[in-house]
Amino acid sequence: MAKTSNYVPQDSPLDRMDPRAKIYAIFCLGIAAIIFPYYQFSYLIVIGLFIAAGIAKLLKKFTKFMLAFAIPILIMLIFIQGFYSPKNVTIIADCGFAKLGLEGVEYALKIVGSLLVFLGSFYLMTTTTYTGRLVAALVDSGMNMKVGYLVLACLNVVPQMQRRMLIIQEAQAARGVDTQGTFFSRLKAYIPLLGPVVMSSFTDAQERGMTLETRGFGVKNVKPTTFVEAKKRTSDRVVQILLVVFLVATIAATVFLKFA
Amino acid sequence: MKIELKELRHVYPTGEEALKGISTVIEGTEPVAIIGQNGAGKTTLVKHFNGILRPSSGDVLLNGESIKTRSTAQWSKLVGYVFQNPDDQLFLDSVKREMEFGPRQVGMPEDKIAQRLKVISELCGLQDKLDMHPFDLTSTEKKFCTVASVVMMDPEVVIFDEPTCGQDVRGNERLSKIVQSLKDAGKLCITISHDMKFVVNNFERAIVLYKGKILLDGKMKDVFAQPDELSKTFVSPPPITRVAIGAELGETAFTIPEFMKAFDAKRGAAKHE
Amino acid sequence: MNDTILEVKDLSFRYRGAKRKAFQHISFDVRKGEFFCIVGANGSGKSTLCNALVGLIPFYFEGRMKGDVFINGKNTKESSIAELSSEIGLVFQNPFNQLSYTAGTVEEELAYGLGNKGIPREEMKKRVAKVAKMMRIDHIINKNPLELSGGQVQRVAFGSTFIMEPEILVLDECTTQLDPLGSEEIFDIVKDLNKNGITVIMVDHDMERVARCANRILVLEDGNQVAIDTPEKIFGNPDMVAHQIDVPDYVSICQELKNRGLFKGEVEVEEEPTIQAVKEALKV
Repeated sequence: MAKTSNYVPQDSPLDRMDPRAKIYAIFCLGIAAIIFPYYQFSYLIVIGLFIAAGIAKLLKKFTKFMLAFAIPILIMLIFIQGFYSPKNVTIIADCGFAKLGLEGVEYALKIVGSLLVFLGSFYLMTTTTYTGRLVAALVDSGMNMKVGYLVLACLNVVPQMQRRMLIIQEAQAARGVDTQGTFFSRLKAYIPLLGPVVMSSFTDAQERGMTLETRGFGVKNVKPTTFVEAKKRTSDRVVQILLVVFLVATIAATVFLKFA
Repeated sequence: MKIELKELRHVYPTGEEALKGISTVIEGTEPVAIIGQNGAGKTTLVKHFNGILRPSSGDVLLNGESIKTRSTAQWSKLVGYVFQNPDDQLFLDSVKREMEFGPRQVGMPEDKIAQRLKVISELCGLQDKLDMHPFDLTSTEKKFCTVASVVMMDPEVVIFDEPTCGQDVRGNERLSKIVQSLKDAGKLCITISHDMKFVVNNFERAIVLYKGKILLDGKMKDVFAQPDELSKTFVSPPPITRVAIGAELGETAFTIPEFMKAFDAKRGAAKHE
Repeated sequence: MNDTILEVKDLSFRYRGAKRKAFQHISFDVRKGEFFCIVGANGSGKSTLCNALVGLIPFYFEGRMKGDVFINGKNTKESSIAELSSEIGLVFQNPFNQLSYTAGTVEEELAYGLGNKGIPREEMKKRVAKVAKMMRIDHIINKNPLELSGGQVQRVAFGSTFIMEPEILVLDECTTQLDPLGSEEIFDIVKDLNKNGITVIMVDHDMERVARCANRILVLEDGNQVAIDTPEKIFGNPDMVAHQIDVPDYVSICQELKNRGLFKGEVEVEEEPTIQAVKEALKV
């Protein structure tokens, strides 16, 4: 059967945590990683995320996700920045065709580190948060329904599109498009698939919009309610406060380092 | 054309056993309808005819050759498959390009493509729409565009998945014409359909699936002469057939002339008594 | 029984950028509790008309609309689609496009519309339980809607519309993607609702079903209103074939019997009476 979202139900503290606290985490940790001048700092946060993933019983999945994403980008960025960054002054290796510069490598590590913090925490949020609770939490905090809807619909529509892609792939194979073989021939086969996927997602989006309208979406002067209850426990509040404190402390440390 | 099914089983990755041993032979040009409830395994079955799905055990032989030997794209020369939803199958920017795409994929000579384009666009009622974008066609025309793009490849077998779904009277008439002309050209038509009126009027053989097995298989009239067995699958004969059964005419009627013939015969017999 | 619940007055609509009108000069009224059907070939304007009845035209689709639609005397132009949703509900063909995509379970999906209206949670739970039972989906209430079969999702879609407690249900070929058993089950529910006073406006391709259910039928052809009458009158009229209307087998049988002078009166449009008519004719 179709997988409908990333969510994996698990009995863990992260699963029980209020979705709002997790959204705080994405932003506080991400921003902290960006502003702090030393790249090593973001990797410390990433280690923290691995620990969190362990607590959430998702260590294997999380590791797979991080590696699949991090390694290719890291190699690419180190290659581009390390060899060709104009900032390069200190040469750490000479490969003949180009020289590897320390500044470029550090810059690449910094970007990848920050990206990993953002994506890792976002991944953890989506895998440990039940959609219904997220909606409830967003509605409860008085978030604009239209913005909230966009976020959620995106999360849900991706697996739906994957499913469609599979059907369309079958349909194309039945018309003589070989979807197997070398990477290049597969890529060539994928291009014709994009048309129908995009087209049908347009018509689908229109019908879905109709549905929402006829079900009272965006009705004025009413405070919306939700079926699932959004409850913030004391521990969630504490986590939220700690995250903010962490961000503020990082900012303070950054300012201190700049002036000291 | 000959399709042999040998103890065909299919188990989905979820563990669901969709086909539980199907054995039969489909041969010649006699149009075959595969009917049954949703979940009976109809789509799973026909997806084995061009290798979209592969048997978990057993085999499908196309003209004696196992389905496993080639890819779906390779089989597409021999077996055409019209999907239920045209949006899954169309992707080019004109009807003409859609129709030329498949044949070029399988290496049909250009002069043959041009010649077929003319004949088939007329058959499918698209001769005046060749330059249109498929997206701007009506839902009926879109469906015929997918039919045309498959028939263009000149396959020996054409599989239709719910062809009458969403069609109107004229669309159904055109479909009948297409099935007939394919048969006349020596092709084998296989359809999956819930539309019993369409099935009984255009197809000669029925294979009724029930929970992944063949429940009934035979001439349309013989199959619909067994309403009790059919009701297991919740397939109900078309209205005219039901009236003939209800009024005890003693004949399986699919058309008004057949019905009236049976009626007159019964009435004549009653008069003689 | 004679109070009008929905009134369409000289309604025309053209989508923005379209060459011709989707429909024009449509006028009819639907009575409270009526089962009203709209038939016609593809492209005759049926779906667009449905969208106009529920207020999606002129609010959601761009184009030029002339004329008015009144629901319970209220002009749809003067209220929003969201407001109209408690008076008139729409169920259409593709079940998967009728999900909100914000719900993790069937019960949340059902409750979605109520949430938009700010219905308190307690009331929500009651109504969800009631509708789930009515639509026979109470056994799958905790499942993810995206993991259900098309037939089940269509029931969920139905339930989510009906939970808003509209007085009028508009069904636009809502069982096209279901198998015969699935559609019959849905129609049993529709018939029950209609018996309990809900007004039903239905577009459908199955003329046997239309003939059996409808109190009155509106025939559209190329966006024009060609006829509006009872099933017997509509299907009994030989001209209808020219308007691309598929005549139910029952009618054809009756007409053949009539030709032989073996059947008097209007045509039959249902199975049982037709069988009786044939049995009678056999005795003559």
